Amino acid sequence: MDAIVDNIRRGDRRSLARAMSLVDGVSDTSQALKDHLRRSTGKVPWWGFTGPPGVGKSTLIDALVDMLRRRGKRVGVVAIDPTSPLSDGALLGDRVRMMRHAEDGDVFIRSLATHHREGGLSDATIHCARLLELADYDPVLIETVGVGQNEVDVAPLADVCTVILAPGFGDDIQLTKAGLLEIADCVVVNKCDLPGSNRLLKEIHRELGGLPTAALAYEKDTKVDRAGDAAESTTDAVEIFGIEAKSGKNVEELLDTLFEMDAAARTPDERRRRNERRVLSEIRRGATVEYRRALEGELSGDGMAELLDTLQRGECSVESAVAQLVTKAADRVRQPEVSENDREPK
Amino acid sequence: MSTNTPKRILIGKVGLDGHDRGAKFLVRALRNAGYEVIYTGIRRTPEQIVRTAIDEDVDVIGLSLLSGAHNELFARVAQLIEEEQAEDIIMFAGGTIPDKDIPHLKSLGFRQVFTPGASLSEILSALKEELGGGE
Repeated sequence: MDAIVDNIRRGDRRSLARAMSLVDGVSDTSQALKDHLRRSTGKVPWWGFTGPPGVGKSTLIDALVDMLRRRGKRVGVVAIDPTSPLSDGALLGDRVRMMRHAEDGDVFIRSLATHHREGGLSDATIHCARLLELADYDPVLIETVGVGQNEVDVAPLADVCTVILAPGFGDDIQLTKAGLLEIADCVVVNKCDLPGSNRLLKEIHRELGGLPTAALAYEKDTKVDRAGDAAESTTDAVEIFGIEAKSGKNVEELLDTLFEMDAAARTPDERRRRNERRVLSEIRRGATVEYRRALEGELSGDGMAELLDTLQRGECSVESAVAQLVTKAADRVRQPEVSENDREPK
Repeated sequence: MSTNTPKRILIGKVGLDGHDRGAKFLVRALRNAGYEVIYTGIRRTPEQIVRTAIDEDVDVIGLSLLSGAHNELFARVAQLIEEEQAEDIIMFAGGTIPDKDIPHLKSLGFRQVFTPGASLSEILSALKEELGGGE
């Protein structure tokens, strides 16, 4: 394990790539490496990018990588795509949009499959981001799968979370529904050359509590305070941008803002708070996986037939069956009998 | 490497060749067969292909080319793989490749060369065999 870490620090790409495969699976070495990474990282900014499929997340990241390189930064990217619910396979296609960086030694892009995890990320994401930090990539950009309205796992992980939208995905009612917009530090409307983008920008402004501004067309917008209250804390303010990722229009300004927001989150207190939030979400995730595995084990176990039988005969209620199941699953977590090779259930 | 995650395959197109129907068909079929597929898109350089394969830690590289430049471009990929000491990555080739070129490509390290008419099941079972042997 120490040899792996040394090689990564020395800048050996193959070791870094292999370590990423290692943390993408389950093994003793994998666990030791994860523990080491947790202790030795946490200083480099992680920026999250999320939004529905096809809004231009990969294209925006491609443009940002280009600009970060011009500013002399070494950039790491973790891009997640969904695992097929039917075959366990996946098409990892995000980097098709980023191939111009493939020969640049100061850019490292890694594609990950969700392995059936919900929430927009894969379990290995946090570990791969830490590995990139270990290899001296700064900042680390994280691209979620194309998300719907409820996949917000990237929020506790990222120091700055950008939600990307594009015109043509629905009206203002869609925006008002709970979910994606609430986790944004920064909202980007991409494809601003398309009709409907100005209207979408206005609706986002209104949604996030800003006053409906008359002319938002296409320039860096004013800062909007969440829920309309004039909070002085910059971390409560959401930035809204109209951009064109493909031509790079307004992306430089977005990048400046990401750096500013990141700097604002870099006070010692804020750092501690964010690291706590990150670790808490990691623990919650780990516990959920363990518990769900146990629950699935119970549901497919021998006891179920009997329980169903009792239910059918009306000798116990659904609620008490649930209570029994919960207790049994908790016991199973305490005394795991699952084999090492069992990944999380579908 | 852990055994409990799907094998990873890079499907790449090198050089000046925009014919990606076959590559995309294969990408879909491989995904459906349970592999994690990294697709590079068209008109890539051998350098881009090899760097991507290494960063993504793939088990297999599959190259597709219908332009006729396979002898030069595939050779360059094989050379870069050797320079990176990444010969453990299995290489497959496919495309409009004359029979007379196949021995040359195999001598460069391409385990399998698929030509027009190759069936999907042929490709999948060759893949399974190559990957199964290495574990």
